Amino acid sequence: MSSLKSHLTLILALISIMLSIFLFRIFSNIMNLYQKNIVNNYSIVIVSTKPVTSLDISQIESIKPVNINFEIKKLKEKYKNIDFSNLQIPFFYRLKLKTLPSPSELQEIKEKLKNYDFIKKVMTKSSSQTKIYNLLMLLKTTSKVFMFLIAVLGFLLILKQLEVWKLLHSERMYIMELFGAPFWFKGASLFKTAFLDSIISLIITVGLIFFITDSILFKNIISELNINFKVNYINEIILLVITSFLISFISSIIVVIGKK
Amino acid sequence: MAKLVLAKNITITYDDTQIIKSSSFSINSGDFVFLTGVSGSGKTTLIKTLYAEHKLQNGEMYIGEFNLSKMNKSQTSMLRKHLGIVFQDFKLIPEWNILKNVMLPLLITGIDKSQAEKLAMQYLGKVKLSHKADKFPPELSGGEQQRAAIARATIHNPVMILADEPISGLDDYSASLVMDLFIRANKLGITVIIASHSIPQNFDILFKQLHIEKGKIYELS
Repeated sequence: MSSLKSHLTLILALISIMLSIFLFRIFSNIMNLYQKNIVNNYSIVIVSTKPVTSLDISQIESIKPVNINFEIKKLKEKYKNIDFSNLQIPFFYRLKLKTLPSPSELQEIKEKLKNYDFIKKVMTKSSSQTKIYNLLMLLKTTSKVFMFLIAVLGFLLILKQLEVWKLLHSERMYIMELFGAPFWFKGASLFKTAFLDSIISLIITVGLIFFITDSILFKNIISELNINFKVNYINEIILLVITSFLISFISSIIVVIGKK
Repeated sequence: MAKLVLAKNITITYDDTQIIKSSSFSINSGDFVFLTGVSGSGKTTLIKTLYAEHKLQNGEMYIGEFNLSKMNKSQTSMLRKHLGIVFQDFKLIPEWNILKNVMLPLLITGIDKSQAEKLAMQYLGKVKLSHKADKFPPELSGGEQQRAAIARATIHNPVMILADEPISGLDDYSASLVMDLFIRANKLGITVIIASHSIPQNFDILFKQLHIEKGKIYELS
């Protein structure tokens, strides 16, 4: 029973660490894609008295003229008594940004644009953008804190496991040392346990990953976010294998080296 | 006879107290030695120093080619592979059966498991424990555990056996069996050093006595 308990501690610790790493990476990727999506759909419209090809503002990625022919046509139909050919119609441009700006960054961009005397008006989707930005940042921070806490919990469980291992294995390792056993011989049983626990926790974690990413809820979220997201299972599993074996191996080495 | 152990002006401290003070002695290869002295005189500490568990504070001590005052970890490990150690509290691995415990020194040297098993069974026969090969240490009496420990200490043909109070707490029958095992090992050419309060009565083979008194080691023949 106590042996099963000692296995469970490491297995649970490894699963929590691996899951937090996986979820953190997946969540970050989803957030980045979603952010890109928002940035792609987000733009600032400016009204200028002269043609604009470039502006000295680092946050701007591209400047595209807005086709206003349709609006002009509608106006012409509405106001037939006005001669539009004599009117000086301003130039409209849509500015795409490199990243989703924070409310303060957006304010800064607006100020910079207004400093150009040929720019007469700057139009932004201020209120909705601020909401989306705040929501995104809140989600990002919450997820980071949550994953971090899970990882910390995992590491605390590993520290507890180290104590248990020390108690279980120190006497045997000491006796072996008295007979001249080399490092690998003393730790052999511990290394085997750690290896076995890594394999078990990997199988459970990979199973959970497939369960999560294959769930209807997860698929619905991805489709709601309207992003092209796919999990690279091979990369993720390789990362988890490395993480799992590294943690187990380092933990067992700490016990073998630190035995009294 | 070649000198196997040579100690020159050694000082050994334990918990900041000098247990052995500037003492010298030597032990020849094949000697049967009793290390005597009252409780707390430093017998165990000297035995521990001989298997490099305890460090010398001053002086020089050699076991064959090994200089105990300048040993690193790999040399310590190498030295111990050539020693057979018997402890007062047996130090058998509780979660291993007796057979595996006896196999330990062979497994450490990398001998094939089936060969080690065969040899361990032979040695368990010598100490009259063949029928208890698959038992675990807590299932054996003190005398049986000590015999298993002696089988473990001799299975790899050590150069020297170091035994710390090996018969204290054992009944007369077990004690005489254990002493007989040491004598047989010694007849095969193995140097035996036994730390003991006193020399057993009717001990009729040639031996050397190192007596510790007030921190000094005296050689009595």
